[in-house]
Amino acid sequence: MTNTVHRFLCLLTGLLMLLCTVFETSSPVLAASGRIKELRIADSRGDWGPPTPYQHYPRGPGYLRAAWIFDTLIWKDHNGLVPALAESWSFDPSAMRYIFKLNPRARWHDGRPVTSSDVAFTIEYFKKHPSSWCKPQWISAAQTPDERTVIITLAEPYAPFLETIAGVMPILPRHIWERVSDPQNFMAPEAFIGSGPYMFKDFDRTRGSYLYEAFDGYYQGRPLADRLIYLRAGASLPALLSKEADLADIQPDMAAAAKQRGLVVIKNEHGWNKKLMLNHTREPLNSKIFRQALAYALDQEEIIAKAHRGFGLPASYGLLSVDHDLYNPAIPSYPHDTQKARQLIESLGYERDEEGFYAKNGQPLHLELLASAVSLGGQNASDRDGEVVKKQFEEAGIRIKLVAMEQTAADSLIKNWQFDLAVSGHGGLTGDPAGLNEYILPEEGADNVNSARFGANAELTTLLREQIREMDPEKRKQMIFAVQELYAEELPAISLYYPEFTAAYAPEKGVAWFYTKGGVSGRGIPLPQNKMALIPR
Amino acid sequence: MDTGSRSQGLPGLCAAYLLAALALLYLSYRLPRLLPGDFLTALYSGAEASLPPELKEAYRNQAEALITRGFVGYLNDFFTLDWGRSLAFRKPVRELIFTALPWTLLLLGSAHLLSTLVGFFAGVESAWRKGSLPDRLGVSLMTILEGIPEIGSGVLLLLVFSLSLGWFPAAGAETVYSDFTGWQRFLDVLHHLALPLGTLFLAYLPGNFLLSRAGMLYAINAPYMLTAKAKGNSPLRQRYLHAARNALLPVVTRFGVRLASLLTRALTVEALYSYPGLGSLLCNAIALRDLPLISGIVLVTSLAVLSITLILEFAYQKLDPRLRA
Repeated sequence: MTNTVHRFLCLLTGLLMLLCTVFETSSPVLAASGRIKELRIADSRGDWGPPTPYQHYPRGPGYLRAAWIFDTLIWKDHNGLVPALAESWSFDPSAMRYIFKLNPRARWHDGRPVTSSDVAFTIEYFKKHPSSWCKPQWISAAQTPDERTVIITLAEPYAPFLETIAGVMPILPRHIWERVSDPQNFMAPEAFIGSGPYMFKDFDRTRGSYLYEAFDGYYQGRPLADRLIYLRAGASLPALLSKEADLADIQPDMAAAAKQRGLVVIKNEHGWNKKLMLNHTREPLNSKIFRQALAYALDQEEIIAKAHRGFGLPASYGLLSVDHDLYNPAIPSYPHDTQKARQLIESLGYERDEEGFYAKNGQPLHLELLASAVSLGGQNASDRDGEVVKKQFEEAGIRIKLVAMEQTAADSLIKNWQFDLAVSGHGGLTGDPAGLNEYILPEEGADNVNSARFGANAELTTLLREQIREMDPEKRKQMIFAVQELYAEELPAISLYYPEFTAAYAPEKGVAWFYTKGGVSGRGIPLPQNKMALIPR
Repeated sequence: MDTGSRSQGLPGLCAAYLLAALALLYLSYRLPRLLPGDFLTALYSGAEASLPPELKEAYRNQAEALITRGFVGYLNDFFTLDWGRSLAFRKPVRELIFTALPWTLLLLGSAHLLSTLVGFFAGVESAWRKGSLPDRLGVSLMTILEGIPEIGSGVLLLLVFSLSLGWFPAAGAETVYSDFTGWQRFLDVLHHLALPLGTLFLAYLPGNFLLSRAGMLYAINAPYMLTAKAKGNSPLRQRYLHAARNALLPVVTRFGVRLASLLTRALTVEALYSYPGLGSLLCNAIALRDLPLISGIVLVTSLAVLSITLILEFAYQKLDPRLRA
């Protein structure tokens, strides 16, 4: 029997070694031509919907999967806006119109030229069939004086036009989409024909994988890698080290290990914040004083230290990121001060009981705190924020019932205002300040559980509505400064900290991936998958 | 499991199973609908983009149609094999399940079978050498292993064999979009299977080993073993034909009972290794509140477990002559 076991073990070891040697050299880095044969990007979820402008999931990773196929008029690289389908553009403030000159070399994947009529058609098509990412309602008309020129007239002033419309709206081929009346269900092979650097080849829903092939006729030059692949990998660092993936997000505390093993580690700016949602429609959270007391009770540094092993940065109370060009450093701040928090609570008529917790008219001050594994830049991440926040509030005399639940269940309660406090989070804080409206105003954030949906301060509401119409950059800056000040005073939600976004890539492929300032596209997607990294310079 | 069914006979047994199947059908219809939150909230609540009102209306109508369609309609759909379309994947539920099922069967089937076989033979051999060093070592090792959950051993295997040594891939069931065909593809699948299979094997093995060993110890001391020895049977014959056959019964029972918990136990491993099986699909479906897909997976797996239990009823009667009455 011992011999049998021995033989079995030898056989098993042999088989394992055979498997390892067979696959050790199975992934060639470069093709014979010196070009990159294949690039693999991994994320933990995999499936982000079919990569068409109408079918990808409404999150950043879904948009980016379609962006490889569909180009926009302009795009962003390290330094800001850069030409894409439009090789140049100008603004005529007197007529409130933008003039775009299209790149004459631009072609659709089926070989036809991209013309101004495609752009005009796209605008009309998105007006008729708005998608979750593209609602060009600010445009009144699009004229096409010639095949290369598009003149877009705005219905009313709209400051973030370039960032959030021209830089986000995927241009559709008219000859295909003009026959499509139901874009949500258009899944024919032509639905994937765009003018971007990569052509769509496959999408496997259950496996969560995507395959693209380089488009030879791309107007900015053939992209660097012949094939681009997305795959699902829960454990990103092992996937990178075993060469299954060339680029993936990693946990910040893995950065040292990744560098040690020869990977290049890149860090993003602070465009994503974890925040405490407050139900300001019910007592006592409808009181500004009480909300300020909560801010004093919180210790941002302690949350970062205890729940994130020190990886993070305390957030600005004015919502806009400290890394934003329009960040206002002179806004009200709430350094951790339990005594101050107690004074403010007591000024509202609360008294401490024998256990040190507050009560008013015999009613104990008791709040429920929802905590869930909030998806961070599209990837699920669990943490201990809820526990640390509970401890800090209880130290200030507020009884907290911590309720941990799955994200959609928590979102559902937040959406219907059935909560007191909730730990939540979102990005877009380094992009155009138009995003502030979506995270503050009640009408724009109606679907978004991360939005404070706050309309109680008329001055704040008016400023937000008007800042997007202010075309003078200096005047707009002053308005954004005032918005941050008012927001930090009102605290309709309390920004806690910016987690660190870290990615790693294999340098031997010769691609220098980068995080885009303000995030990719005008929506501030905090991922390093900018297609400009694969465009030859 | 057996006493009641024997007294009722085959019709009684079938009726009991039919009733259980009906109950499972109802649960698969009802339970997913009790989940808080809906598809729209799951997909859009934290998104960078908001949903246009027209689309919101369309999704809402779709969801309402699902909820208002009663249990009778659901039964009708089930029997006509129309299991609906997944809200998230926009594909027929049946197609999605049958794409993921082979991977789950491969992973769970091989882990379960391998751990039962190895556990059984190792248990029998260990019991036969009771008190020896290998036996004591085996029992200690298996007791320790029994206490390590899949998530623990899975992460450990991942760290050692993928992160440190780089021998095995960390994710997926095969190299996506590779040019492998034939043997190369087969080896690629095995290469990807190694770590998740190893994790599940380590999780299932100790139970099988300890159970077989305990059953065997009981059987070795039974009077019929003395008879078997006196009849001049070789030690191998004594072990396997006389003793181990009796020790096999609880192992077979365990095999069936464990099947019921297999899917839920595999969820962790499938998620850890991003294995594209039913567990991953169910996780995605629940996260997205994709009601037709959740119902489909819950139903298929629970009916599969029920069928296996029924098969085991008969297998048990074959193995144990006392039950053939």
